[in-house]
Amino acid sequence: MRANFIFSEVWIGLRRNLTMTIAVIVTVAVGMALLGIGLMINSQVSSMTSYWSDKVELSVYLCKENSPFEPCTDKKGISEEQKTALEAVIKGMPQVEDVIFEDSATAYKNFLDNQSNNVFASFLKVEDMPESFRVKLGDPDQSQAVTEELTGQAGVSNIVNQRQLLDSYFGFMDKLQWMALSVAFAMVFAATLLIGNTVRLSAFNRRRETGIMRLVGASNVYIQLPFVLEGVIAGLIGGVLAAVMLITSKVLIFDSIQNFIPEALGWNTVAGIISGTMAIGVIICILASFITLRRYLRV
Amino acid sequence: MIHFDNVTKVYVNQNRPALDHISVDVDKGEFVFLVGPSGSGKSTFLRLVLKEERPNSGAIHVAGKDLSKLSNFKVPHLRRRIGCVFQDFRLLPNKNVYENVAFALEVIGKPRRFIRKVVPEVIELVGLEGKAHRMPDELSGGEQQRVAMARAFVNRPMILLADEPTGNIDPATSIGIMKVLDRINRTGTTVLMATHDAAIVDSMRKRVVELEDGKIVRDQSRGVYGQAY
Repeated sequence: MRANFIFSEVWIGLRRNLTMTIAVIVTVAVGMALLGIGLMINSQVSSMTSYWSDKVELSVYLCKENSPFEPCTDKKGISEEQKTALEAVIKGMPQVEDVIFEDSATAYKNFLDNQSNNVFASFLKVEDMPESFRVKLGDPDQSQAVTEELTGQAGVSNIVNQRQLLDSYFGFMDKLQWMALSVAFAMVFAATLLIGNTVRLSAFNRRRETGIMRLVGASNVYIQLPFVLEGVIAGLIGGVLAAVMLITSKVLIFDSIQNFIPEALGWNTVAGIISGTMAIGVIICILASFITLRRYLRV
Repeated sequence: MIHFDNVTKVYVNQNRPALDHISVDVDKGEFVFLVGPSGSGKSTFLRLVLKEERPNSGAIHVAGKDLSKLSNFKVPHLRRRIGCVFQDFRLLPNKNVYENVAFALEVIGKPRRFIRKVVPEVIELVGLEGKAHRMPDELSGGEQQRVAMARAFVNRPMILLADEPTGNIDPATSIGIMKVLDRINRTGTTVLMATHDAAIVDSMRKRVVELEDGKIVRDQSRGVYGQAY
């Protein structure tokens, strides 16, 4: 009985305000979809960051005979004593977790394994490959400090920090994420105002009914619930549309770049994000409705 | 049933009080006319009974409750015990007679079985039998006011407030309206009616409380409208 009555009121309200309802649905849908995409990029970036953090290492290349690099001025290459001393220095650093020495033969083998250009490979000889220390850090964020400390050590030709290569990529993802989140924020703000306006129109349209309800002693909940439910239903429909957009973007965008990145975005994460954005959408609708009702529906 | 003790009401931005130290007692089952010129405070009196307005000073008791101690949360329960009728009927134009009356019960969550039983009874009580499925715009003014009275009475209130119920109705039809109010009064409901209609007050011979500039200038049992004091 009660439920019947309230739902028929809600239906009437939604139908009378059809254009406003559609505006609310679309705004909520786009806002929540952008919020969801922002969160998806965020979770993608953080899962990739933690994946790469395990892998990132510093390559400390050593001087060889006639090495063209600036620090190898004596053109004689690194001596065995220097090598041992350098290894001790590296191992002595607190940030360093592990050090592996890669000699020319191993470097050549690794190069051939990764190299598809056979013509280029045929020029290279084992002796051309530099020797290096592969330094693994406990905390990848310390790579800058370690690099600075090792630069200028005797026998070090150059240091390649793999993290710097990844940073530009992460930086791009970061910007994308913030763009999506700030547009999402603007959309949520617009949605809040729109819902407020819709509820206001709705309250005005039904002022006769609510006036009589007040008079015959209907409780506040009974008077306000239809309006709040209108907002909730519009928010839910918007949320469902946002979920469809998020699933589509997962399939079309995130799955297509999966080939280039090791850590794919799982369906579990997507499901979590979808339910999260839906909850946020509905909560915003409820809050906006309540705040507006307090102003425009004197009980 | 209704007890005003030294009640003063001043609206914001007004110097003159709408009600000025008013004390009135209305007992259970009484029929009281509230008369006086426009702006004398009749409507303010009714609004105070409903707790639509708060007095600036003084105490109001309605149906045994001290309104100043009644929380906002409980105001709807107070209003369920008070029926209201207005000059402009206030019917819902998109609902028929039955639905308009049933609406008052639906919104306070009464079960459907109860509604099906009592609504036809009260429609008959106000003399609209056979017209339950008419829309308000198919009814005369007098009939619309009967619908409004049915809606006000359907929950068997202890008090019925009528704010110029015959104001939009011709004198002949008004007599019918008054008969219905009298019938409602005979069921034990206290009736408080604000009116300008001298003929009706004179013919009913009930208690008359006259207001002027927010003060009670006459309180007379079995009174008439224009009698000098």
